[in-house]
Amino acid sequence: MPRGRPSSALRRRLLLLGLPAAVLAGAATQSVRVGADAPDRWWSPGEGRVFPATLDYTNDHGTIRTLVVDGPIETKGHPFFEPIGTNGRACVTCHQPADGMSLSARTARERWDATGGKDPLFAAIDGSNCPTLPQGERASHSLLLERGLLRIERPWPVRSFNGKPVKPDFRIEVVRDPNGCNSGPGRGPEAGNISVYRRPRPVANLKYLLAVGFPFDPKQGYALPLDPDDGKPQSGNLMADNRAGNLRLQMEDAAASHLQLMGKLTPQQIDRIRDFELRIYAAQQESVQGGALDTLGAEGGPVKLRDSQPGALGSIGTPVWSEFAAWDRISPADAARLTPEQLAFRQSVARGARVFRDRTFLIFDSAGINSRMGFGNPVRNSCVFCHNMTQMGNDVAPGQVDLGTTTLPFADPWDDLPLFRVTCLGEPHPHYGRVILTYDPGFALTSGKCADVGKITLQSMRGLAARAPYFSNGLAKDLRAVVDYYERRYNIGYTEQEKQDLVNLMSVL
Amino acid sequence: MKSAATLLALLAPLSAHAAETGALVRFVSCPVYRDADSGKKSGCWLADDPATGLRWDVSHSPYKPDVGMGVLVEGRVSAEAPTACGAPVLEPVRTSRLDTPCVRHVLPAEGYPGRKFKLPPRNIQPLSVARPVPPGPYSERTFVTYFEFDRDFLVYQYDDFIIDNAVTWLRAAKPKKLIITGYAATQPETVTGRKLAERPQVAQQRADAMAETLSRLLPGLPIETRAKLAAQPTDHPDADGIPGQSQRRAEIRAVF
Ligand code: HEC
Ligand code: HEC
Repeated sequence: MPRGRPSSALRRRLLLLGLPAAVLAGAATQSVRVGADAPDRWWSPGEGRVFPATLDYTNDHGTIRTLVVDGPIETKGHPFFEPIGTNGRACVTCHQPADGMSLSARTARERWDATGGKDPLFAAIDGSNCPTLPQGERASHSLLLERGLLRIERPWPVRSFNGKPVKPDFRIEVVRDPNGCNSGPGRGPEAGNISVYRRPRPVANLKYLLAVGFPFDPKQGYALPLDPDDGKPQSGNLMADNRAGNLRLQMEDAAASHLQLMGKLTPQQIDRIRDFELRIYAAQQESVQGGALDTLGAEGGPVKLRDSQPGALGSIGTPVWSEFAAWDRISPADAARLTPEQLAFRQSVARGARVFRDRTFLIFDSAGINSRMGFGNPVRNSCVFCHNMTQMGNDVAPGQVDLGTTTLPFADPWDDLPLFRVTCLGEPHPHYGRVILTYDPGFALTSGKCADVGKITLQSMRGLAARAPYFSNGLAKDLRAVVDYYERRYNIGYTEQEKQDLVNLMSVL
Repeated sequence: MKSAATLLALLAPLSAHAAETGALVRFVSCPVYRDADSGKKSGCWLADDPATGLRWDVSHSPYKPDVGMGVLVEGRVSAEAPTACGAPVLEPVRTSRLDTPCVRHVLPAEGYPGRKFKLPPRNIQPLSVARPVPPGPYSERTFVTYFEFDRDFLVYQYDDFIIDNAVTWLRAAKPKKLIITGYAATQPETVTGRKLAERPQVAQQRADAMAETLSRLLPGLPIETRAKLAAQPTDHPDADGIPGQSQRRAEIRAVF
């Protein structure tokens, strides 16, 4: 049945009519992102569109599907979709269905071009490199336009963590401030705040990010902290720096910062946003090269995510990315029904899943893994060591790990990001020593601990095809750049074939 | 004080690499990683005892070394053949990371396979798996957790297992309160010519770390903490017969 894809416009109309995907099979192939997606690719705040139960959008790699349990949803009056703050934005502004409920840098550029920079997305507060810059100029929004980054302002010093007072065990100084948001009147650590720049994280499949697999956080060396609202253990898997332990805290943070909401979200708004967040799933559904991702035994797409129990550790249950295991053994009869390109691609995806799980390399100097836990430094393991949750590829344990993406020497030498000098006042950092140069201290801005500098919470790995660039600071411009980063970070020695297999795998998640 | 002759007698079989199975070995050195590859977590940890020149396979430790840091090795000579990593094996064994820097030594596999990873016996079930309720009657009972030298950090697949079992029992037993006593091995001992003693503060830190964890797992249960210095060895089974490990502990006592 996998035979290329219908035009997205046609597909969307059929889907809106409620026709199953099977009906669409056999329609004409189209492999590029099409203009036909316009005008409704972009969801503007307050449009009042209906959010269908199933909604597809094309991207370079194929089609991403969002699925709303018990949908459709009326977005009119819905606090996720309405501009409930003061700057005209809604949550959906940065969490777009076509972008896997995140926001790609390309979409940001398209919005700039379509609106001359007037879209509320570019609000001075965090949609520009700094509110103090001339807002009409494209250059003032370069981080959002080039790398999809939003400004995140964190208070400094950290005063409490998990409900207990803390005093940071490090000092932070600004080495370089290219955007002016970490120095000057009222800005920067001296003035009680720090600005870092981060990618929006996808708002979909959240039951996985909230799932608790085991009662401990082995990276911090304690039982999991308890949710202040319901007293249950928290997963610790929200936000790059884990500053919000549950969805309520997250949305209050988002409303006050991104939406510039002056008051507080009402209990009804909180409930409705949470309800939507827990009902929406997103994953790649079709591949340009491979065809439909849920055929010949494969279980790609959001349905599987909706129907599975979250929080399972792949190493003791269903291995991570088993969704594509059936493509490891495509029968000759089935193979004959595929184009040679589709067959080769599907086999590559299945190999990619095995490379992800089984191709080991030496992981070294990554705090959270190589310290303080006792895995040893180095330790031999594979991608799945950290990305270990079945179906999702985030970390079952709270996923604060220092991959080096935001910290020298492993981060790219980017002079358009602020650079901070962190000095550990107590124990030196186990791998960087006493003085650390970083663009974003990550989790340390939440915990106040020097040992946590550079740790970023592992994200969902779903819908990657729709939301380049990757990593919290947009360091990897495409999927190949993700693999190249790991190759450089850990001297892996992947073959060209292994790299391509990993890229193909990631393109279908 | 042992005589020089006894000491020599103790050392002699070791230097011949024929140490009696079960003999205790304790030294400080720099760890060596051998990049053996039988899949995930299969690499070898080795350490050379500077006093004897003997190389030991210390890979069985529940907390493993860091190539950049000194290591305190404490273990017992095992009968396991030296085939996995190319050195006689200590098991049970502990490898504590010390604050002294080391030159990083990584050896190639040189034909040694390392060990295919098996889940250690002390591993916990996911929360989705119900824990059987331990039968009563319940009365005063003490659980013991163990630490790396001079640290208060909960050891993965060791302490979490002990605590998980303790909490299952405590939930059923419903004691009135917990008294957690952190111990520190503060009396200096000379190991490999180096005076080793834990910081006195680590006793209270251990008690506090356990108290924080137990307050999260058993919210509302009153917890008192205490600290004891100059910890002496015990023969509690979870210390696996390693005296140093048994000293570095916290005791969680359920009081009714
Ligand atoms: C201006 C862009 C923007 C807007 C508007 C916005 N977000 Fe976000 N969102 C982000 C960014 C950036 C992050 C990542 C922040 C971080 O990691 O520090 C994020 C992260 C999240 C996450 C965490 C997901 C994860 O995997 O950790 C959730 C949930 C979320 N947003 C929900 C919302 C809600 C609800 C609203 C509306 C109240 C909203 N967002 C509005 C940019 C935005
Ligand atoms: C040592 C733990 C670890 C290992 C091993 C690891 N990752 Fe990651 N991964 C992380 C962390 C931490 C992040 C978040 C870093 C950031 O966003 O800056 C991440 C992020 C990612 C992302 C970005 C997702 C996004 O939304 O931007 C992708 C894709 C990814 N990893 C793929 C891989 C692949 C492929 C491998 C194997 C080559 C791998 N990872 C191995 C820890 C790890």
